[in-house]
Amino acid sequence: MSTNLAFDVPESAPRRALQIVALNGLFDEMDAEGVLRHAVSEVLREDVAIVSSFGADSAVLLHLVSLIDRRLPVYFLETGKHFPETLTYVETLTRHLGLANVRWLRPDPKDVTRFDPRGELWESDPDSCCHIRKTEPLDAEIANFGGWVTGRKRYQTAERGVLPHFELTSDDRIKVNPLAYFSDADVNAYKRAHGLPEHPLFAKGYRSIGCAPCTTVVAEGEDPRAGRWRGLNKKECGIHFDFNGAIAKPVAAVEKTLFKDGKFIADPFRAWAEGDDPAAVRYTHIPLEMFVANRAAVLGNPHPNGLLIRAGDAIEEVAADLGRFASVAVEFPKFSDGRGYTTARLASERYHYAGELRAVGDVLMDQITLMRRCGITAFVVVHPATRKALETGTLVTVNRYYQPIGSAEVPVGTRPFLRKAPETV
Amino acid sequence: MYRYDEFDAAFVQERTAQFTDQVMRRVRGEINEDQFRPLRLMNGLYLQLHAYMFRIAIPYGTLRSKQLRKLAFLARAYDRGYGHFTTRTNIQFNWPRLSDVPKMIEHLNEVEMHSIQTSGNCIRNISTDQFAGAAADEIIDPRPMAEILRQWSSLHPEFSYLPRKFKFAMTGSANDRAAIKFHDIGMKAVTNPAGEIGWEIWVGGGLGRTPMIAKMIRGYVEHENLLAYLESILRVYNRYGRRDNKWKARIKILVHETGIDKLRDEVEAEYAQMKGGVLTLPQAELDRISAYFAEPPFELVNATQIDVVKEKAADAPYGEWLERNIHSHKHPGYVSVTISLKPIGGAPGDCTAEQMEAVAELGERYSFDEIRVTHEQNLVLPHVRIADLRTVYDRLVEAGLASGNAGLITDMITCPGLDFCSLANARSIPIAQAISHKFAAPERQREIGNLKIKISGCINACGHHHVGHIGILGVEKKGTELYQITVGGDATEAAALGDTLGHGFVADEVPAAIERLVEAYIARRETADEPFIEVYRRVGDAPFKEALYGNA
Repeated sequence: MSTNLAFDVPESAPRRALQIVALNGLFDEMDAEGVLRHAVSEVLREDVAIVSSFGADSAVLLHLVSLIDRRLPVYFLETGKHFPETLTYVETLTRHLGLANVRWLRPDPKDVTRFDPRGELWESDPDSCCHIRKTEPLDAEIANFGGWVTGRKRYQTAERGVLPHFELTSDDRIKVNPLAYFSDADVNAYKRAHGLPEHPLFAKGYRSIGCAPCTTVVAEGEDPRAGRWRGLNKKECGIHFDFNGAIAKPVAAVEKTLFKDGKFIADPFRAWAEGDDPAAVRYTHIPLEMFVANRAAVLGNPHPNGLLIRAGDAIEEVAADLGRFASVAVEFPKFSDGRGYTTARLASERYHYAGELRAVGDVLMDQITLMRRCGITAFVVVHPATRKALETGTLVTVNRYYQPIGSAEVPVGTRPFLRKAPETV
Repeated sequence: MYRYDEFDAAFVQERTAQFTDQVMRRVRGEINEDQFRPLRLMNGLYLQLHAYMFRIAIPYGTLRSKQLRKLAFLARAYDRGYGHFTTRTNIQFNWPRLSDVPKMIEHLNEVEMHSIQTSGNCIRNISTDQFAGAAADEIIDPRPMAEILRQWSSLHPEFSYLPRKFKFAMTGSANDRAAIKFHDIGMKAVTNPAGEIGWEIWVGGGLGRTPMIAKMIRGYVEHENLLAYLESILRVYNRYGRRDNKWKARIKILVHETGIDKLRDEVEAEYAQMKGGVLTLPQAELDRISAYFAEPPFELVNATQIDVVKEKAADAPYGEWLERNIHSHKHPGYVSVTISLKPIGGAPGDCTAEQMEAVAELGERYSFDEIRVTHEQNLVLPHVRIADLRTVYDRLVEAGLASGNAGLITDMITCPGLDFCSLANARSIPIAQAISHKFAAPERQREIGNLKIKISGCINACGHHHVGHIGILGVEKKGTELYQITVGGDATEAAALGDTLGHGFVADEVPAAIERLVEAYIARRETADEPFIEVYRRVGDAPFKEALYGNA
């Protein structure tokens, strides 16, 4: 893997890491051109590719490329989900800057057919969508290079706040970030100074532009990437998880904690956070007391949302409004705290709540069957052994029930009183 | 007696497979003790002072001979040749190896037994009158309903993680032999003005560090509504019972802090929703279960009077045994026999494998294959022909089980104490043994008459000390085991909690202190028949306090 790395002698991993640290001390923070030139001519010696989203800021990096070597390979991930304006912009910039080697990367059609036949994966499982459309195609190409250049900047998200000029990834490649220290203002000043064409959507309020379904307009003062995967607990598509040389998470395993309908899926919902606006949140579990205090605002909120009922909350208070929520999360603060079972039964049996009823908190394998019987339909599970048992379908449990519980279990007269065996379902 | 149908058998089999999987994961080290604890507790497996302790359910204290023989087998094969009957009418083995537990459970399956819900914060084994189905004074056999409740409460999904453990007791007789007022829920069969039989429900009784006498929550609940009513109580408890403090988590504290009237309103509101719903018990189902508990084919024999005086003259130990260990039966010519597990100097409730087999044999031959376990840690043959009593007695003598001390001073309830239990502060069994030796002489015991001593090795009160006529509580003060003595407790329908009279005694002083209480009682009784507890009620604390601590 690392044989393309153009250091003079084979390096030990620690030594290479030290050299990266040294490289990061060579350049002024704003010397983007110096960084890119050194990377191309000295560090990677043409064994390097550029990856660009052709988004709102991309013109700056591509302009630098055009100054140094127009033949450098520039990869654009044509996910099939871009705004038409983005595709036009790729052509515009390529022409304007005279880039001679722009390569469009498309997802493997077999993957799309298999995992996203209806084109809705972005909605149900955005991580997997990014995976088949971005990470997989790019990984295959990047493997041919000793390093690559990105346009990422520190200011973009909190997670990118420590981004250096040079990174060593866990698979021994070098990632170069010439614009790491550029601010939003620096980028705009650079674009103006060099008369670079704007992305057509920039004028409409888009600041970080990815695939159309997962990109929204950013409000004044918001983190520029706030418009990406808005409402989801997702900040990166996966291709950049390995920044700073940290060990990368396998993308497929990223935070798929919601077990529903027999499999783990990415959770479209997020937890309520300090400072959230009950009138504007989307795909958020709003705590019961927050809902009760802001009932009108929440009911006026047009987005899908959930309700969090904590152990000790009185579900009676919200009984009439349960149907307004796409998901109700019942909290089990400790596995030994059984109040949630009553809450779940009241929601499903007495108040006839028919949406997703999910268990959150200390959800362990020995409680899953009990929870299901009380009406729980989805489980947020982080406990490794429980995840394994659910994934492999090896939950060892008792499937014969003495008591009639739950609206689905109840049919009187269809079985001996109090009893239910699996075959009588 | 109830017998498993296919459903019950398959249910237990699934549960066995689940627990075996959990045990094997623990044995292989795939889960640690913290992760294993809640799983094993739900299946009756405790980690004691020296080893794992395995507790097996004996539903409403009823056993068939085959089952008792299996317990004898387990005692011999996996323990040290004996078992210990508990105040919950279960049996526990104190020395099994963890890796043997799945095999033990397999053996139990063969005789329709299990260990489910003998521990954990769930609904525990339901206890009843040990003479249920036999007693002359009962208006209904509580066991069919107890069996229905057993089924309803088995792995109940809503009530498997209650704030704390939950215990039911039931009696079909006005003479309460099941201590229903000291249970989380106590049920007594009663007749309504229309002459129908239903249940009077008591809630919030308990012992432990905050002993409470139950309060009546409802005077009458029909059979068909009982499950709905109980589920209403459990739901209110599950929602509102305290979970912030283990010592305040029992329903007695909820009853105490909420007040019985408000709690009753909450339960009634829930009951109004549940009543008439899916939990309504059809008469056909009650009949179906009751059929399992149909009376055995008693012979029609003439009522025979047992002439205790004559028997005593002929053979004193036999006569004395007849006098103490026989309980009157609803069917003429039969009695129920109490087999005392309180021999002088023994560990109360302990029973060897050989003794279990002897009792199994007697049950099979002389009691229609039935044996009972009492909450006072004795065994009972419920249906013995008076004509067979001598034979039964002789066999019991051979087995070392013929102590004629039922209800006497040496028939003590004792928790395992510091010799076994990891919670205990003090030893209990050696105290019981010392008292037993002190009062070993049969004539001395008889002179004293009915007197219940109950001993606990810590504040958790597994030995029911609060409701002993004389209660003994072991505590630990500055590294010394001290024993506090209470007087005046009563577990029956005349429920009362004993009063602590003063400072504790070191172990050596306890038998003499009990002796002084006994002397104070004998000195003040008006007739030889006036029992200790009645004298106490008549004369109060003072003479007993003086007997313990002098005039100071």
